[in-house]
Amino acid sequence: MKIATTRFGEIEVDDNKIIAMPDGMLGFADKRFVMLNPEKHAPFCWLQSVETPALSFVVIDARRAFSDYQVALTAEESERLALDRQGEIIVLLVVTLSQDPTKITANLQGPVVLNPARLIAKQVVLEGGKFSARQPLFASQQEPAPAANGG
Amino acid sequence: MLVLTRKMGEVVTIGDSIRIKVVEMKGNQVRLGIEAPGDMRIYREEIYLKVQRENQLAADWALGDLENAVNFMGGVTKE
Repeated sequence: MKIATTRFGEIEVDDNKIIAMPDGMLGFADKRFVMLNPEKHAPFCWLQSVETPALSFVVIDARRAFSDYQVALTAEESERLALDRQGEIIVLLVVTLSQDPTKITANLQGPVVLNPARLIAKQVVLEGGKFSARQPLFASQQEPAPAANGG
Repeated sequence: MLVLTRKMGEVVTIGDSIRIKVVEMKGNQVRLGIEAPGDMRIYREEIYLKVQRENQLAADWALGDLENAVNFMGGVTKE
């Protein structure tokens, strides 16, 4: 299908690549996204809404940004993601860009968890002061982020 | 919204499995004890709102900023 996007113009996406987010991204109603990962923007990817051309998030695979960071899902969340017991997940961190690269942050408090086998994703909110919603992305080179153990 | 009055030590139950107890009252603060099934996530509303607000900030970005970030990162990491 063809998807209109504000930032990248019209793009062609396989119908079977569409990611369902039944609970949306917090604060946004959109329920269907596609993940785009153009080589030249690696390691960043975009989560682009299929429904709203202007809505897209820059995300980064948590393993690449903060290797110690882990999310433990609740039974309810696993069910929502249609996750099998041994099912693999991909944890994406929403990136807040800035004109000044040293001010770019990643949201460790609200990761997006993707079930790649079923293409269902959910933004999970983690309780606790140890996760920052604004963790500097590049400071992580020196200082590993604390491991996240879920709720 | 359902509004209930509870005294110190009293409990509100939600469904069969969630109990919320007034544990302490001090000035304008109330401490609540919450019992809920296993791994259910319970959090202060501010945290939820913080993530929501951060999403809004994150959604407002320019392609140029992303290109800057990629270039900057290229200089920092060697992959």
